[in-house]
Amino acid sequence: MQSNKYNDLLDRLENEELEQVELGAEVYQQLMAIYLYQNKLANAKLLWMRIPDKLKEDKELLHLNQLNLALQNNNFAEFFQKIRYDWSECVKPTMEDLLVKQREELFTLTGSAYVSIYQNNLLQMAQMTEDELKNAVAALDWTREQDGDEVIWLPKAKETPPTGRNDDQLLKLTEFVTFLEN
Amino acid sequence: MGSALENFVNQVRTMSASGSFRELADDLPESVSLLARNWSILDNVLETLDVQQHTLGVLYVLLAKLHSAATANPEPVQIIQLMRDFVHRNNVEQLRFAICAFYETCHLFTDYLVQKNLSILGIKIMARAVDQIRQIDSQLTPIHADLCLLSLKAKNFNLVLTYLDGDITDISTAAAECKTQQQQQSQHTVDANNDAKYFLLFYYYGGMIYTAVKDYDRALYFFEVCITTPAMAMSHIMLEAYKKFLMVSLIVEGNIAFIPKNTQVIGRFMKPMASHYHDLVNVYANSSSEELRILILKYSEAFTRDSNMGLAKQVATSLYKRNIKRLTKTFLTLSLSDVASRVQLSGAAEAERYILNMIKSGEIYASINQKDGMVLFKDDPEKYNSPDMFLNVQTNITQVLDLVKQINKMEEEIILNPMYVKKALGSQEDDLTSQHPKTYSGDPTD
Repeated sequence: MQSNKYNDLLDRLENEELEQVELGAEVYQQLMAIYLYQNKLANAKLLWMRIPDKLKEDKELLHLNQLNLALQNNNFAEFFQKIRYDWSECVKPTMEDLLVKQREELFTLTGSAYVSIYQNNLLQMAQMTEDELKNAVAALDWTREQDGDEVIWLPKAKETPPTGRNDDQLLKLTEFVTFLEN
Repeated sequence: MGSALENFVNQVRTMSASGSFRELADDLPESVSLLARNWSILDNVLETLDVQQHTLGVLYVLLAKLHSAATANPEPVQIIQLMRDFVHRNNVEQLRFAICAFYETCHLFTDYLVQKNLSILGIKIMARAVDQIRQIDSQLTPIHADLCLLSLKAKNFNLVLTYLDGDITDISTAAAECKTQQQQQSQHTVDANNDAKYFLLFYYYGGMIYTAVKDYDRALYFFEVCITTPAMAMSHIMLEAYKKFLMVSLIVEGNIAFIPKNTQVIGRFMKPMASHYHDLVNVYANSSSEELRILILKYSEAFTRDSNMGLAKQVATSLYKRNIKRLTKTFLTLSLSDVASRVQLSGAAEAERYILNMIKSGEIYASINQKDGMVLFKDDPEKYNSPDMFLNVQTNITQVLDLVKQINKMEEEIILNPMYVKKALGSQEDDLTSQHPKTYSGDPTD
């Protein structure tokens, strides 16, 4: 449901872009923010390429583009650094949602990709303070270890809850068997 | 001059009123040059015609306006407004009598917009034109290529992707349309020769669009259709598509993707002209990123000239990834610095970055242990017992079932085609077994 949140707005903005000549920076800002939130990075990149040159000096757009580049390169540290910015009202809610989403993603990813990770590196990636990190990690039930002076975290991989739609599945299977038998 | 135009208007009005559209469509092409000569007063002519009632007349005025755009230099906004009005309010039944002229108008309009750098404003208009003129959703028309070109120029693919995602089962060509309309005007024969061009362009542009949105599998398919089109001579569109086909197939498969055998054109004409790209394929096969980097540098001028430099860089990145992937097949654990030296990356940190990205995108299964600086490569954890996988299989089954239905439908059409029946029966007398029509009805699910 979450990612559908901005679909209506997105449709409206995309239509606007196709029909009007001179658009304000605001339309592009919102479009860019939504693309980032929905993780449509290729779209965001293309959007940046088609923004008229004179609008490219707009500070907020520049900043949004830097976010996009950071996401494309999977550079978490830079992303979390750049997202701390005084966003204007029209993109603020989207940016807040994006931050929450990316945080979550980072922890899911490190959870599955690392057996152990130095706290320093994790702090660097997430751009959090030690206390913030401690809270986030505690919620995920990760184990803490000491390696000399450094703290190491041993992540615990998340298990995805099964999604049950048994009736639907049964129906589809029946359909398929009927097809095979005919 | 004025009276000639008056005659034109009168002719359009009386013939439209009496419903003799076919005769009107036959007569109108002769007035194009007259209209184009009088470009300065065409707006007055337009005022006397109604888009709904006199679609054909308005169409030819538009055509003349676009023909004379170079001399008349009209306001772009006005032309766009006229076209938008036309595609929204015209009468499709009338339009069908002059499909060739409509196609030509669309092509000229596209060229005009590209020239004026206003491509983005034409996307919706062309999309609407395609919706109007195609008889079924899976029909390809020459204006599909225009839609793709405008989208590429404007770098806006949201709308065009909906047209590209569907499979094409039928093609509307200017040649076929003209034949059914018994029109033999010279300008239309020129247009008919362009059918192949617009077909190839559609698949070439389509491939480029999919490459831009990083849907490489689909891009490969589009380029493949473009280069495997049966031909006696090579088109430059096919050559460019072939170059891109080679690069995309390196990214997707790591070697040259399978090409059907019926395409002698590739071996005879294209291979010698794409030698740089074949060198790239050969070096890629050596799995040495260093060599590949040097080669790309060496040919950078040629790649830039073909506007394929960005794709070349993607190829380079894909080789790093492919090499890391190969390591997972040999090793269970490996230190990060070993990974870096084996795939020729600059250091452990860069290797870790690559591996993390690949884990994220699901290309490999591994976990990094920062404590010892090691990577543990794992097998694919997919046990094919999860509901998600089941859903995945289900959607694939549904797709295949739809495909079977489609094939059955098309087969039925062929079997019922009198030409086919005649041919099949004729050859049956010669040879009863080998040319039996049953050979065509093989069930693909068997």
